[in-house]
Amino acid sequence: MIVFEILIPVLIVSSIGAGLALILLLSERWIAYYGPCEITINEEKKITVEGGKSLLSTLQEQKIFIPSACGGRGTCGVCKLKVLEGGGAVLPTETPFLSSEEREGRVRLSCQVKVRNDLVIEIPKALFEVREFRGRCEKIEDLTYDMKRFRFALQEPETIEFTAGQYIQLLCPVYKGNSEEVYRAYSIASDPEDRAAVELIIRRVPKGICTTWCFEYLKEGDAVRFNGPYGDFRLSEREMPMLFVAGGSGMAPFVSILHQMRHRGDARSAHYYFGGNSVRDLCLDESMREFEKDLQNFTFIPVVASPEEESDWQGERGLVTEAVGRAFDDLSGHEGYLCGSPGMIDAAVKVFTSLGMQEEHIYFDKFA
Amino acid sequence: MKHSPDDQKLERMLRSSKLVADGFMGTDGRGVREIIEADAATLANLGVTAEQTAGRMRELTLAARPALGNWIEAEGKYRLRSEEHKGSLVCPWPHAGRYEKRLTTCRRLDSGEDIVWTDLNIHLIEAHGFFEGKGSYFRLEPDVLVRILFA
Repeated sequence: MIVFEILIPVLIVSSIGAGLALILLLSERWIAYYGPCEITINEEKKITVEGGKSLLSTLQEQKIFIPSACGGRGTCGVCKLKVLEGGGAVLPTETPFLSSEEREGRVRLSCQVKVRNDLVIEIPKALFEVREFRGRCEKIEDLTYDMKRFRFALQEPETIEFTAGQYIQLLCPVYKGNSEEVYRAYSIASDPEDRAAVELIIRRVPKGICTTWCFEYLKEGDAVRFNGPYGDFRLSEREMPMLFVAGGSGMAPFVSILHQMRHRGDARSAHYYFGGNSVRDLCLDESMREFEKDLQNFTFIPVVASPEEESDWQGERGLVTEAVGRAFDDLSGHEGYLCGSPGMIDAAVKVFTSLGMQEEHIYFDKFA
Repeated sequence: MKHSPDDQKLERMLRSSKLVADGFMGTDGRGVREIIEADAATLANLGVTAEQTAGRMRELTLAARPALGNWIEAEGKYRLRSEEHKGSLVCPWPHAGRYEKRLTTCRRLDSGEDIVWTDLNIHLIEAHGFFEGKGSYFRLEPDVLVRILFA
């Protein structure tokens, strides 16, 4: 009898548990089933998709790639687009990344919007041109003690079209120390005419998820995946003289831009100030001297803040922004192009504007 | 020590490599609450609060920033350098918190001892009393930190 007294309640509780589990399973199969949903993009393209996933991954499955750095975890705030209808309320996870203007303009984080019903969205037209690429790491080259250049030969598709200054998003796979795939943005450092490959210049970030993979795990011959091209950082069509300022891996877009200028036979005046903390931070001097020979009005000025005592550094000294300030009295007729850390860009913008450069003539690609 | 479901969720996040390679806990086998309590006790013994510690770190970070990644001397007793990298660091606690990937190195001129922190470290100490687990790349030992920042 005692056995039954114990067994019966156990059986009842177990049956209730099993019943609840069954209800949950059925709910997931039937209640959380959203069926086919229609997404209208830019009032011109309609796609029918299976509901239930995030808007970011749903679009990705349709080969429409929205830039995202965190793989859809809602932590980078990059995957913004306009959801004009059907997106529901803005989630608390989105609010830190959206300004009041953006909220009024119905901007959302696509990774946080779930496709549950028909949606009307708006995305920049250029994103229709973004493709996913598979390739192989063809070459890895040390540029400095903490910067490498990677060359990825394309396999599928076999070629890429991009404008100098644009970037790609490299897929960092799972490895020991990284449990999830993530994408990270890197400027393309190669010649836009070299369509069979892309080159990236990457500076190592201590414990950075993707740079650790690039520096410690990625080997020549390994498969790579990325999507792109993205971004609006590019040369303007004006004829004004230009001032380029970069530091570290901010070198990358300018290499590509200089290739483009060489192909066009661009005779615009361009001064390129590249800053390093020490002489060992400088790189690609030989390539820059080649560009100087090929481009009629191009000058490369490396600047070293604190040359090593043992070096015989004869070039410009100090902060790169100070060197610009020493060289120019009036920049009102110039355009400025900047790529580097937020601190360097903020300091350079101050110098440019204090010397008369108009803010609308300043273009930058801030590390973010 | 009992752990609430929220603590367990937080701990999974801290031990994962979702936000930084190798996570925030290093090789530390203790739970996050135990780590925080032990470090709070160390700080209390030294007579300093987490807020004061974080405030001092922020002060030195701000002093280093104008040098754009170069070494700069400060207060006659430090060499400081603040380097900015591509990307941002996100707080693992369940609230909005995103910080520029800035690494500040603080070296004492008298002892040569140095420590490195990120802007996220400052937030983790100030808001959560979390100095990271032992063996984590950015673990800051409270006694070392106090010795360097306040001596």
